Amino acid sequence: MKDSKRKKKQIGKKMDRRTFITVSAKAVASAGIIAGFPAVLRGASPPEIKIGSIQPVSGPLAVIGKTTRQGNQLAVNEINRAGGIKSLGGAKLKLLLGDSESKPDVGRSEAERLIKEGAVAVIGPFQSGVAMAISTLCKQRKTPFVVDVGLAEPITKSGGGWVFRVFPTGTQFAIPVVKYLKQMLSETGVNIKKGALTTTGDFFGKAMSGLFLKHAKDLPFPIEEPIYYPLGTKELSTEIAKVKASKADILFSVARPSDAKMIVRELYKQRVPLKAIISPGSPGYFEPSFMKEMDKLAEYVLTNAPWLNPLSPKMKQVAKAYQNAYGGYMDNNSGYAYMGVMVLADAIGRAGSTDKKAIREALTKTNYKENIMVGGHVKFNEIGDNINATTAMIQNLRKNGKLAPRVVLPKNMAVAKYVFPAPPMWER
Amino acid sequence: MDPIYFSQVLIQGILMGGIYGFIAMGLSLIFGVLKVINFAHGEMLTWGMYIAYVLFIWVGLDPFVSFLISGILVFFGGYLIQRILVNPIMDYHEAMQVLLLIGVSLVLTNLALLIWGPDPRSPQTSLALSTMHVQGVIIDTVRIIVFVISVCITLILFMFLKKTDLGMTIRAAADNRLGARLVGVSVNHVSAITFGIGAACVGMSGAMLLPILPVSPGVGEPFTLTSFVIVILGGMGNLIGALIGGLIIGIAESMGAILWSPSLKQLVSFVILILIMLFRPQGIMGGKR
Repeated sequence: MKDSKRKKKQIGKKMDRRTFITVSAKAVASAGIIAGFPAVLRGASPPEIKIGSIQPVSGPLAVIGKTTRQGNQLAVNEINRAGGIKSLGGAKLKLLLGDSESKPDVGRSEAERLIKEGAVAVIGPFQSGVAMAISTLCKQRKTPFVVDVGLAEPITKSGGGWVFRVFPTGTQFAIPVVKYLKQMLSETGVNIKKGALTTTGDFFGKAMSGLFLKHAKDLPFPIEEPIYYPLGTKELSTEIAKVKASKADILFSVARPSDAKMIVRELYKQRVPLKAIISPGSPGYFEPSFMKEMDKLAEYVLTNAPWLNPLSPKMKQVAKAYQNAYGGYMDNNSGYAYMGVMVLADAIGRAGSTDKKAIREALTKTNYKENIMVGGHVKFNEIGDNINATTAMIQNLRKNGKLAPRVVLPKNMAVAKYVFPAPPMWER
Repeated sequence: MDPIYFSQVLIQGILMGGIYGFIAMGLSLIFGVLKVINFAHGEMLTWGMYIAYVLFIWVGLDPFVSFLISGILVFFGGYLIQRILVNPIMDYHEAMQVLLLIGVSLVLTNLALLIWGPDPRSPQTSLALSTMHVQGVIIDTVRIIVFVISVCITLILFMFLKKTDLGMTIRAAADNRLGARLVGVSVNHVSAITFGIGAACVGMSGAMLLPILPVSPGVGEPFTLTSFVIVILGGMGNLIGALIGGLIIGIAESMGAILWSPSLKQLVSFVILILIMLFRPQGIMGGKR
């Protein structure tokens, strides 16, 4: 009895499934005919081109990982909407999603997984440490890796010619920040006696602060020993007390979103008399949530960032599309995440193939003109670094009551005049 | 060294130490009675913070009021977790409990990620930027309030365990589980209440941390480890020991940061831990086992 019932059930299921398949196949076919889908007429649509995107969408950097993934996705959507990769019969791009959890080992295994799932190239991963891990993997697997954000110098070098970085290198960060600061000092005549430096103790923090200190030797004032603290720290009051005790006039801070908030609050509470807070190249001080929650404390913070180019008409279009799709404004991280996919897609288009070697060849010959970030055409040197990548100085300034990061230097791109020295936080 | 700077950092260390002690106390209590190590400890702190955050954003309730609500809600959360999940495996091997509670911590973290997203949130509560100036030393008002409340609650809890019927029952269950059951104590209920109280302590401390620490789903994770160190330092299951252990770690971290380097501050607390393990493995306040 039981058996026969089960059988009946099975038969019923089978029938259902069969009916379902026939009906749905008919529906799809008729939909195709009605839409006059060219692919259907030709008999096959070109297969999707898979790109692996690895971003830190969980862990301490999740807030940024979310925006960089959105940047990747925005570019993919734009390309697909415009008809896919033309040289491959309008093949659509597909973003395979990976999460590094802000950890190098996880980032590497995620990259491995996406390559196994058929990704022809990998893009990501926001963190220098993760980029290093993926870079050696991509060298082994002979898969092109486009670093959208990640500034430590060794990333490209360890990639054996398979790694291409659209983002500026640490040196490309450090040289302009020193130049901009010197310009500000000479234009305002402000006298600075000493600088202090706080930084996260991870691979990125050490690389960035090290390069900055190396180039900061040209500055007319000394900078104290860097104060390191772990990523995801729960306490910064002692560190800030140390900054105060050093009697520095400028705080250079290599930070991340959570510690940036703790730093400005502690600076206010301990009444540290600073003339400026400058990030020589790190996130933390320009994100929308920093502006919203820190408000007056967020004002006048300077960040040296490879920012969106305010003179580029395409930038306005892309930034608007980003805002419409995800809310919040596009910043340098989501901007470069977008650029990374655009450069990669351009290379796939020129290669006219999904062969990894051909894509790599095409990437080496990149000359991408529609750069939405500050700096010229995207062009890679023999190591794989973008020779035209550079930074701008941005400052959080209020205009019509709205606090936002605005480009203040270089002059030809500035949308506002910088404020230096900044008024003390407790007098604002 | 500048004496003002020195006393500034020392006071910060003491205040932070009191807070650490309070955070660790819940862990110590749960371990003392249930012999279960709560690996979801830091995540309960995160949830206490989020509850206070939501109450602040929705109804403008200051964390120094809403910490009680956080405490109550996390108490029920802890009670249910013990009753439904931990209790059935109380008699199994310890590794099972570890796995289960790590699982709980993952669920709690990801639930928070699902609801609030990854952004660190740090709302401007009324006291977030308030400080007091004493003889040139700047004292953070929030930290001093949290410190005072923490010490008070620790003492209240201590008295509760010593003097009330329920407190004595809890201690009886901690002392001899089988014996307590034989004399008619509902051990399951008492265990769940203890777990709830432990969770409530850490939930309350989380809520009070909101003005000084941005809340994100992963914020509680490092506190689990710090709490372990403190509990081992003070003596497993000893409440006053947890408070003392917290003070030691707080002072050691801040002093280590100025005497050597801030990046070495965790090193200092772990060196102390190793020394304690070597020379007094039962902890500072722990009795002989």
